[in-house]
Order: sequence, then C-alpha cells, then structure tokens
Amino acid sequence: MTDLTRRDESVIAPPATPKLVRLHPFGLDGARTAPISLATALVLVGAWFLVAEFRLVPPLFLPGPQEVLAQFLAIAEEGYAGATLWEHVSASLFRIFTAAFVAASLGIPLGLAMGLNRWAKGVFDTPIEFYWPLPPLAYLPLMIIWLGIGEVSKIVLLTLAMFAPVCLSAQAGVRALPIERVNAALSLGATRWQIFREIVLPSALPEILTGLRIGIGVGWSTLVAAELIAATRGIGFMIMSASHFLATDVVFVGIGVIAVWAFAFSYGMRLLEAWLVPWKGKL
Amino acid sequence: MLQVHNASVFFPARDGRVVHALDRASLDIDANSIVVALGASGCGKSTLLNAIAGFLPLSDGSITLDGRPVERPGADRGVVFQKDTLLPWKSVAENVALGLKFAGVPARRRRERAEELLGLVGLDGFADSTPHELSGGMRQRVGIARALATDPKILLMDEPFGALDSLTREQMQELLIDVWARTGKRIFFITHSIEEALFLGTTVVVMSPRPGRIVARFELDFVRQFAAERDVRAILSSPRFAELYDEIRDIVHRPHHAGPHHEGRPQ
Repeated sequence: MTDLTRRDESVIAPPATPKLVRLHPFGLDGARTAPISLATALVLVGAWFLVAEFRLVPPLFLPGPQEVLAQFLAIAEEGYAGATLWEHVSASLFRIFTAAFVAASLGIPLGLAMGLNRWAKGVFDTPIEFYWPLPPLAYLPLMIIWLGIGEVSKIVLLTLAMFAPVCLSAQAGVRALPIERVNAALSLGATRWQIFREIVLPSALPEILTGLRIGIGVGWSTLVAAELIAATRGIGFMIMSASHFLATDVVFVGIGVIAVWAFAFSYGMRLLEAWLVPWKGKL
Repeated sequence: MLQVHNASVFFPARDGRVVHALDRASLDIDANSIVVALGASGCGKSTLLNAIAGFLPLSDGSITLDGRPVERPGADRGVVFQKDTLLPWKSVAENVALGLKFAGVPARRRRERAEELLGLVGLDGFADSTPHELSGGMRQRVGIARALATDPKILLMDEPFGALDSLTREQMQELLIDVWARTGKRIFFITHSIEEALFLGTTVVVMSPRPGRIVARFELDFVRQFAAERDVRAILSSPRFAELYDEIRDIVHRPHHAGPHHEGRPQ
C-alpha cells in the first residue's frame, strides 16, 4: 500500500529539474551558427598563417597574414600608387554611391511604372531584358569610346550594372501586390494617386530594398572593372596596379578592404530593412 | 435604399468559354436590414457583392444606391473582405482611419474617430498595435471598424467570418449585431453557413450555382429578437429556427439544372 502511494506521488509531483523537450527540428530551425562560423574563420586564418610560415607556398604567391597586416598599416599611413588608402577607398565609395543613387532614382520609378503601365512595360522591357544579362566588362569598351576615360564612364558602367536589379525588383514588388488591398482602398474612397502612395509604394518597398541590396552587391563586383579605365584612384585600381608589380600583399589588402566595406554595406541594408519594413514576412 | 435589378454577369473563362456567374438577380436592401446571401461556392454570391461594391461591372441589369447608379467603388459602400486587407505598415488606428485620410480629414480628428470606432468593436487600447500583433478575429474587428469609418450607407461583407474558428465566429456574429443595432447600418452579408444566415439575416436569399441565381427568399426576425433579448440559446433551439434550417438545407442541396454554360468560380 505504502509503496503504491509513494509511487503515485512521484508521478504527480514533477521532478525538481524537468527534462525540457521540443519537437524534433528539421533543417536549421534557428540553431545558432555564429560560434561555428567564428571557429571556421580562425581555422582558415590559422591555416593561412601556417602555410605562409612554413613556406609551403612562396611568399610571392601567398604572403602571410602578418605581412598583409603590416602592408595594410603601411598603405594606410604612406599610401600606395600615389594616393593614401583612404583616398583610394573614398574614390571607390564615391563612384558606388553616386551610381547607386542614380540607379535607384531612375530604376525605382521606372520599375514601378513598368509594373503599372502597359506602355512603360512595353517600351522599356526589351532594352532592359536585352542589356541586363550582359557582363559589364563586355560593354566597358563602348563606355570608354562614348564617354571617355573620366569619372563619367566609370559611374555610368556601375549605374548600368545596378539599375537592372533595382528596376526589376520594383516591378516584381508591384506585381506581388494583392488586388484585395487595392480594392479595399478603392472602397474607402482612394484616388489613383492615393492608391499609389499609400498602397503600391509601401507594398513594393520590401522588394525594392532587396533589389537595392542585390544592386549594391553587383556594384562592388563591377567596381574593379570600372576602375580598369585609366583610373588613378580607387581600391580596384590599387589592386590592378599592385598585380602589375606582383605585390601580392597589396592585392590582399585591397581584397580585404573591399570585403569589409561590402559586408558593412550589406549589414547596413539589413538594418535599413528592419527599420523601414519591420512587417516583412509577418503578414 | 440599395436596389439590384435583374443583374447578370458573364465572365470569359480561361479556356475561352463563357461563365454565366450571375443570372438576373434582383434584390432590395432597405434601411435597417441585414440581407444575407447564402449558397455554395460558385453560386454567384461573391460576384453579386463585387458588383454592388463596384469592383465588377454588370453584363446586364442595374444597381442603384439611393437612386444613383453604382459604377465604381466608393466610400459610400464599406467593404469587409474575407481575408483581412489591413496594411501591415500602419498601426491599427491608422488602418481604421484610412478612409478618413483619403477624404482629407485632419490627423487629430482621424485619431479620435478611430478610437471611437475601436471602442465600438471592442478593441479599446489596441490603437497603437500593429495588425500582425492581433489575432484573426481581432483583425476582422479592425476591418469592420475601418469599413464603418467613412460612415458608408451600406456595409458589404464577403464571408467575413469564414476563416475564423467557430468560437470566435459566434462572438463576431454577436458583435456584428451589436454594431448593427447601434449604428442602424444596412448590411449585405455573404455566407455559406445556413446557421449564420438564419441568425444574422432580416432577409435571407438562397442562391444556386450554374448559373448563379436567387432561388428562394426568407424574411426573418431572429436577429431583431437577439438584439432585443440577447438570448442565443432561445433562438437556436426554437422550432421555427430548426424548421427553416431544414427547409433551406433542402433548397441548397436540391440538384439544380445545369445551365447551358460551363461552371466557374467567380472571385
């Protein structure tokens, strides 16, 4: 009897530290990956260090991390190829920013118009679909022939590369607009302009921001090509110039600088998204 | 008064054939009445609502609101959709006041009116929430408040409680009756639930598919009885309710002659 009672109690009273369970996950399911990524980075840098330290690869091909870091500090202080590191970086940033600004201020309105208007879509679809799969390097010579070797040709090249993803995403944003949302606004007495401003534009905003993010990514990868054109400043120019002198460590510095800036941009865009479209994916 | 006179709608179907979605439907919606259109999917009830809302032109016939023909959507007809169409980037109060914003009402007045309406639908204190923080039932309440904000002459409701669980659904039906009793709005309501139709309608029109047409009409007063006595059980258990339920069920399930046209599901 007493045994039975005791057993009953143990069933009813939960153990002091209950074993927590949840449904078996599938795929990633929100598991933390940051420590693994960090460890991977450390292993990669460590391997790089060891390979360079034991001269498994000649330093001409692979300088060690400490040499690259030293070169970075040297360039930051004394400059390289006639300009300081910041001058190179700011020249590149100016080109990317200007191009992104032009691409966004042309691409977003045009994309929205193409999503809404038969004529806009009909007229601009063909040229955009024709040019945008082309690699920027392919039409680079044309830019030089037409626009010369100054800043204009570089910025136009970058703008062309960024324009298409921005424009296409704005179009996709309009196309994804549910008709019920428009009907709801119409039955609340909205005018065409009010529908555009209050419904179409905010509905397309998440897609537009995605397009901008892709556009800026494309911009970075086109940058080096753009700076092949008789540039005297720019991070892409610095890399190309260093490669002519087999200054591998400078090439590494340039690549590292681009990677850091590109990462910062992409992170900034994510913050912008969280601020502008906090509802994304929730409704 | 809203009058639908011999309204017919033909759609082009995807395969090139013609869908006869609505066949000579006639309907009057008087002040202080709730007209419920009941039928299986494809019977043309949503087509009828879309035509009254002005989203869809008629192939034939006419719709007039207080004598003026209905041609396009307008703030004189508030619509509550089956799927809530709240704007996720606006707060609940801003969503409710959207129609007032379109009409150019100043911000302070909009806010006051929104809070008033949120009180009417039982959502005091949710003015600054965002729609995705609300449950399905609460969102539909916001939808009702939004449709009422511009003080429309009629409220058009397209299966507004169809996506809700049955407990929330009952609450929402009672809420709608309260709103109706307090504002005196006329309501055109679509449902495929016989019980909902009987409970809410002062008039119930039963519709049948292929082609969509009105096959029966019932004048009821359960909703007035509820508004006066607030006793759901008395209504649902009354013999008259059960009788009508069976009668309507027979009509809905009665096989109808297939029309000359191909079946289609109007949106």
